[in-house]
Amino acid sequence: MKANIKELTKGIFKENPVFVIVLGLCPVLGVSTQVSNAIGMSAGVMFVLLFSNIIISALRKVIPGSIHIPAYIVVIASLVTITEMVMHAFVPSVYSALGVYLPLIVVNCIILGRAEAFASKNSVFDSILDAIGMSIGFALGLTLIALIRELFGSGTITLFPMGNFGGGINIPWFYDNPIRVMALAPGALLIMGYLKAFFDWNTSRKKDK
Amino acid sequence: MTKNLKYGLILLSICAVCAFALALTNSITAPVIRMQDEVNQKKALEAVSNGWTIGTRSEVTDQAYVTYTIDLLDNSSVAGYVVGLSTPGYGGQMTLVASYTNSGEMLFAQLLTHNETPGLGKKAEQEGYMDKFKGSGTEKAVPTSKSMLSDADAQAVSGSSVTFTAIAKAIAAGSEYVKNLGGAR
Repeated sequence: MKANIKELTKGIFKENPVFVIVLGLCPVLGVSTQVSNAIGMSAGVMFVLLFSNIIISALRKVIPGSIHIPAYIVVIASLVTITEMVMHAFVPSVYSALGVYLPLIVVNCIILGRAEAFASKNSVFDSILDAIGMSIGFALGLTLIALIRELFGSGTITLFPMGNFGGGINIPWFYDNPIRVMALAPGALLIMGYLKAFFDWNTSRKKDK
Repeated sequence: MTKNLKYGLILLSICAVCAFALALTNSITAPVIRMQDEVNQKKALEAVSNGWTIGTRSEVTDQAYVTYTIDLLDNSSVAGYVVGLSTPGYGGQMTLVASYTNSGEMLFAQLLTHNETPGLGKKAEQEGYMDKFKGSGTEKAVPTSKSMLSDADAQAVSGSSVTFTAIAKAIAAGSEYVKNLGGAR
């Protein structure tokens, strides 16, 4: 039980895919302009990572080592395409919000990285726990960067519209005094750098103890 | 040789299962997506029609941006046109519809399909984005660069110049095309 909990939680802090393993940075930097984009992207990654881990773990004894990369890519690309088609048909607003970043999940290093490093060597149950933990870690990292960028860069927090709620929250003072660079690509790199430094400092501090 | 054949068969089996899963998903989702596209197209046409009656559609194949035109009828005479436009944006081809008077003045425009960057070029689908082009095309030129916009409008398209320029060029091309038609149809 303790080992299962460890498997589940390692992706959140100790092996956080964004700040510790530093995987999947392209979508992290590109999509983190708004909190709603970060949440949508995280949901897509969670679905694809969960099912790719399950399928690859289930087929780990069938797929020989020399053809594992093309086999994994076919599985991952198919799952992403299925996600894209289902979202387009049944949740068009989320599909529209994610735009070009949805098909880009195919090349997200976290998906292939976890398939290669974990799912291909472990049981289906452990792979499910790994996928959930890593997805939560990715979602937290991405949403944190998006929250900071949107707050400082635009003075807003954009969520999904629901009922009478339009989806956008304007934050006083920040809205009137935005730091535009935060909404642009250099802002993403700056925030990523500071947060990575914080995670590294926190890890080394724990080791020293 | 036997080993390679075995690997090939394994890959073929995985690809076949994936292809089947994709075909199955497509057969379920494609009709829903097609229906949504038709509804969106109809809504967009009604939104840009300026209250006039939507007439017949004519395909256009020899123009860079214009893909089709639809007559807008006021008491059975052509009062303007809806023009279907296709233009290359930052994330690929974008399609939009714009309505014009016979003289080429832009009335309304709406983005239909695109793959622009969320938070940047994607802002073009927001209500009010096309207002900066309203009334342009005749005495007032279509603003095709940020320097032709007011400070507030230039700020709004900051970070998405490629999207803005692509839309502006398409709207300008639509206006020119309508001027040549001049209510002749």
